[in-house]
Amino acid sequence: MGLNPESRARFNLERASVLLLEESPMGMNILVQILTGFGAKTLHRCETVDQAKDAIGKVEVDLIICDALGPSGAGYDFVEWLRRSRIEPNCFAPVLLTAGHTPGNAVARARDCGAHFVMAKPLTPIAVLERILWIAREGRRFVECDTYMGPDRRFKNDGVPAGMVGRRRDDLHGEIGEAETPNMDQEVIDSLMKTRRVEL
Amino acid sequence: MSVKIHTPPVRLAKLLRTPGGLPVAEAVQRAGAGLQSLRKDCLVELQTVLDEAEACAARAGDAFDADLLAELYGVVSKPIGTPSICGLASVDTALISLSDLLDYLKGQQRWDANAVAVHLRAFRLLLHTEGAADAAGTQAILAGLRKISQRYARTEG
Repeated sequence: MGLNPESRARFNLERASVLLLEESPMGMNILVQILTGFGAKTLHRCETVDQAKDAIGKVEVDLIICDALGPSGAGYDFVEWLRRSRIEPNCFAPVLLTAGHTPGNAVARARDCGAHFVMAKPLTPIAVLERILWIAREGRRFVECDTYMGPDRRFKNDGVPAGMVGRRRDDLHGEIGEAETPNMDQEVIDSLMKTRRVEL
Repeated sequence: MSVKIHTPPVRLAKLLRTPGGLPVAEAVQRAGAGLQSLRKDCLVELQTVLDEAEACAARAGDAFDADLLAELYGVVSKPIGTPSICGLASVDTALISLSDLLDYLKGQQRWDANAVAVHLRAFRLLLHTEGAADAAGTQAILAGLRKISQRYARTEG
């Protein structure tokens, strides 16, 4: 991560269709200012979950920014509904979930609702942009099972947690053990990486 | 339990790469300018929130009242994120501390009028004197609030 706010790299949100779900008028204004500042032109503003569900059924969206919607956590339920709705392609849309305060009993709901990323408020333009660019990356796997539907929550390739048996076919098993030979010399590593002319 | 893993196409990724658009620096600057335009409205809203929160807390008795606590939590947690738009990040920190406190009190079915009152007084102070207050003074207030709310933090299990 760590997007440089001075970067001259370009991105284009002009043709993206963005759904915003935020019940507080000021919260909505903040999102609108950030997104329009980024150049987004098509914003579907929804103040209630019902409005958002209605919009999901009618228009194709490329990005969803959704608030947790206070103590009720209706925003989590909306994301869960979206994933299970089978309304394609919207059910696979990148979702950035924002939350002002997450009560202790809602942490698991936030993790398991199927959002791509949960972002704590206050929002800053650079942080929002960084997350949008991150969740828009291609190749993120989707997991569908009885208890969860959404992006793969295992996005860091750290392997299976210590002391646990992996549940996936491609999880590696067995002990790595101690090194049997000395570490390679840096010069040897460099020579392996060096581009060389090949004669055929 | 059957598990299906697949990789759906992400249209947004393609759109972001289409020619045109904005450089990151310009986009961030434009968004920041847009947020600045909300500053006055944000301050008005925060004053309303403070008045509502104080009125709500004033109705509390000595005993735990789940409904009143939930109402107060709703009032103070909703605007989190708004103060920072007005350059009042310390008010956001105070609101988060108060929301934490109310969440802990709810979990333990307790009420602490003094702890809530201290947070609300700090909210009023930070809302009206942020510009004049010295940074060290503000940090001391926030550290004090965190100490109060964390007194009720309890590790489950």
